[in-house]
Parts: sequence; structure tokens; C-alpha cells
Amino acid sequence: MKALSFIAGRALQGLIVMVGVSLIVFFALFLTGDPAALMMPPEASRVEIEAFRHAMGFDDPIWVQYLRFVGGVLTGEFGRSLRFQRPAVDLLFERLPATALLAITALLWSSLLGFVLGTIAAVRQNGAIDFVIRVISLLGQAIPVFWLALLLIIVFSLNLRWLPSGGIGTAQQLVLPSLALGAYYFSAITRLVRASLIEVLGENYIRTARAKGISNFRIVVHHALRNALIPVITVQGMYFASLLGGALITEIIFAWPGIGRLAVDSIQTKDFPVVQAVVLFAAFTFVVMNFLVDVAYVFLNPRIRL
Amino acid sequence: MSRFWSVRRNADAVLAVTLLSAVTVLCILVPLFWPLDPARGVLAATFRPPMSVVNGQLHPLGTDQLGRDLLARLGLGTAISLGIVLLAAVISVVTGTLLGMIAGYFGGWIDIVVMRAVDVQLAIPFILLILLIVAVVGPSIGNLVLVLGVTGWAVFARVARARTLEVRELEYVEACRAIGVSDAAIIVRHVLPNIVGPQTVLLTLDLPRLIILEASVGFLGLGVQPPTPTLGNLIGEGRSFILLANWLVLYPGLVIGALVVGCNLLGDWLVRRADNRAS
Repeated sequence: MKALSFIAGRALQGLIVMVGVSLIVFFALFLTGDPAALMMPPEASRVEIEAFRHAMGFDDPIWVQYLRFVGGVLTGEFGRSLRFQRPAVDLLFERLPATALLAITALLWSSLLGFVLGTIAAVRQNGAIDFVIRVISLLGQAIPVFWLALLLIIVFSLNLRWLPSGGIGTAQQLVLPSLALGAYYFSAITRLVRASLIEVLGENYIRTARAKGISNFRIVVHHALRNALIPVITVQGMYFASLLGGALITEIIFAWPGIGRLAVDSIQTKDFPVVQAVVLFAAFTFVVMNFLVDVAYVFLNPRIRL
Repeated sequence: MSRFWSVRRNADAVLAVTLLSAVTVLCILVPLFWPLDPARGVLAATFRPPMSVVNGQLHPLGTDQLGRDLLARLGLGTAISLGIVLLAAVISVVTGTLLGMIAGYFGGWIDIVVMRAVDVQLAIPFILLILLIVAVVGPSIGNLVLVLGVTGWAVFARVARARTLEVRELEYVEACRAIGVSDAAIIVRHVLPNIVGPQTVLLTLDLPRLIILEASVGFLGLGVQPPTPTLGNLIGEGRSFILLANWLVLYPGLVIGALVVGCNLLGDWLVRRADNRAS
């Protein structure tokens, strides 16, 4: 019962967050006071701007506009792209598979490798392997995505000529972008697993297990990792947002036709309905991810399941 | 005490301070004393590799596509980027701490509103929100400082609130309230001093995020407009020439890396030191 009300509470919280996000996304366009002038090219005449203002409904009271915006979002109608004269939602969903492929590949390699290396580092704490792994993960968090991406292109595309530097379609083209995108995530997971496992390995029940003569491998895999995982899972949702941000940059550099490139292109051409759709979608994914993490947390941690 | 200050224990801090002071020297001394103009190029001397000499003038880091000296541009660019980031950090810390303390101290609906606002802020990827706002208000240095600063408050508010909740229950705060000290005075004089330490540590750990964000916006060409150099602008402009002149991308990236590693090491060290003191 407690678990159910906990989950319901989190769902409600997610809903409130989405309302807040919709307010920000909507009112961001009014920061300069006149969204019509903002979206029209600078050489547009006064008459053209007025006509555009009326066509977009910017001359209605602001709360009417906001309700219309929210109503549209709820019925899947996000406004039309000014550049393509097509529904923004269609553009978004066209680009979605490319971003999903990139993000999932990056997520998979980085969490698997991060998990393994973090565990090794914790078991061999303060040893040589631990030192190497710590340096790698520190650098992985220090290097901006765009710089790492350019380095990868310089080394693997321009000098060694092993892998293509851009485009989509083949497995080889997926390697460099997913490497660049996953690097930060990989470092974060490695550091977290290491820190969390070291803490758990110092607990009394682990000492008891050791005293009983259970093998080191069994202690780490069966007894320690399970508990060490809990903090790692709770921050997954937070890091997911940085993954989305990183995808934006990665897609630009590797000419990857995903949502991130759509967002930057739309910002550069002042195609704000599309930008609004992308921001709302990103926030929605984030909220859903965090909700799923909360639910997983309930099942993993018996202390709140009671 | 002597063991605490042993070299091994503090190797991280020494490395951090070395990296950060190297960058500081670069961004103060180069704009002040390096004789070459970061904005003026020699068109006869484009894409010269590092350590080239042109007309008797040494270019330690080479020149760019317009024959401008990279060291001069990197020095000024680092100074501008750091200026933006530090000012933004001050805005983040001040607004975040203030809102967090108010939320934690008064509780009730203020607390609910502030904490939900934190959730909203953290739900939107920073870079996307910043690009959106900068696209609306225009990419001046002042706007960039404001946007980076205002969007960074959430983490500081969360930590300040948690700490305030603890401090609020302490006996001396109770005593203050009993003798009729005003809420504002309690917050400023008794709660704030307990929060300054943790917030400073948090700031060191949050600076790398701001540095990379500012550079990312510049890299995309949506931040401070060229020809003004920033760390991100330099890499963004150099990107088109990586086949020809990879030093244009390499050196600004190294500066960013040094800054971020330096801040992270310093932050971790501060956290460890605080833990040691507590135990």
C-alpha cells in the first residue's frame, strides 16, 4: 500500500513538473515582448508582421494563447514548423529513431563497461588498476563532448582512416558518435559504482560473509553489488538529461540526422514551434525516465516497499 | 596533522592548483603583455603551425585561417569565457542559496513551490533551454551571463534547503526565536554561515558544468559572436580546418580540460577534507 501511494505521488509530481515545463517553454517566446517580430525575418515589413501576428494568434489575450498551446500539446498538435510548413510533431517523430539508436548504443556500452571497470576498481582499491581506471574516468568527465568528438575524427577518420567521420546508415558510422556521446556517462557510472561498492564492502555483513569463508568473487557478485546498485540507479535519471544535451552536440558534429540537429537547425532559423516541441519532448522523456527509476527503486529497496 | 598534510594525500590538490594557476596565468598575462593583437591577422601568414616564426615574430601556438596569433586569441578567449562562467556562477549561488534557505526555513507552500521549480528546472536539458533563451533575447555577453546564471540555481537551492532544515532545528536557532530575533536576521546571521562551506564545495564541483556549457554554446556558434574569441568559439571556428590545422582545435580543448580537471580535483579534495574534519 505504501509502495502504491509512493508511486502515485511520484506520478503526480511528474505531472506538475510537466505543467511547469510547458509554462517555461511557452513564455520563453515572450521574453522580448513580441514573438511575432522575433519569428519573422528582420527585413519583414510592418504589415507582414501584423498579418503573421494575427495568423499565429499572438493578438489574443496571453492566457487564451497558453490554454490553446496546452490544449494543442494534449491532443498531439504542437503547431506548425515555419520552415517546412508541416506539423512540428511529424518532424520530431521522423528524427526520433536516429537519436534513439545513437542514445541507446551509447547507453549500452557506457553502462556495461562502466559497471565492469567500476567493480574492478573497487575490488582492487588503491592498486595500479584502480589508479588507471580513476584517471580514465576523471578525463572522461573533463573532456567536453565536442572536443572528444573532434579528436576521434582527427585520429580515427583523418589519420588512421579506419572509420567514417559522419553520416548514418552503416554500423561503422555509429561507432564514433556513440563513443563520443557515451564517454561522459561511462565515466560517471564507473566513478559511482566504484564509490558505492567500496562503501558496501566495508559493511559488517560483508565481514560476516568473509568470516564464513565465502569466496571473494561470490561476496562481490552476490552480496555487495546488489546493494551497491541502488545509488547507481537513482542517479541514472539525472544523467539521462546530460545524455540528451550531449546528443545535440554529437549529432551536429557527426552529421547525424536526429532530434538534436533538428533543435539546433530550428534555433538557428528561428523556427520556434519546432524548438518548443523538442524541449517539451526532452523534458517529457526525462520525467518518464525518472518515474521509471523511482518505480525500480521501490522494487530494489525493500526498505520502502513495506 | 603532519600526516594529514603529507604529499601523497594532497597530490590531487597540488595538481589541481597547478592546472588552475596555469590557466589563470594564461588568461591574465597574455591579454596584458603579449604584444600581438588577437583581432589583427597577417593574411600572408595563415595556418602556420605552432612555433613558427613570421617576420621575426614567434607564434608559439601557430596562427589561424586569417593569420591571427592563436596564443593571443586563446588568452583573451579564456579570459572572456572564465569571466562569463564566474559571473554566472555568482548569480547561481546567490539566487539558489537564497531561495533554498527561504524554502527550508519557512517550509509550507513556499517550500513546495521552490522545490517543484527545482524539479522543473532540472527536467529541461540545460543546453536546450539556454539555446532557446539566447535565440530569443540575443547572444550578447551580458545575456549569456544572465541565462547561464539563472538556469544554474537549482542544485544550490536543493543543497541549501537540506542544510537549512538541519540548522533550523538546532537549539541556538530555537533560542534566537525565543528572544524575538527576526526571521531575516536568523537566516542571514545564523543559517547562512552554516551553509557557506558546503555551497563553496558545490560551486567548485558545478563550475566544470558551466565551463562546458558555455563552451558548447560558443561551439555551436550561438553564443558570443565572432570575431570575439571564447573557448567554444575558437574550437567551433577551428572545426572547419581540422584537416589543415588541428592545433586550432587542440589547444583550446586542452585549456578546457585543464580547467575542468582542476575544478573536479579541487572539489573532491575539499569534500574529503570536510569528511575528515567531521569524523
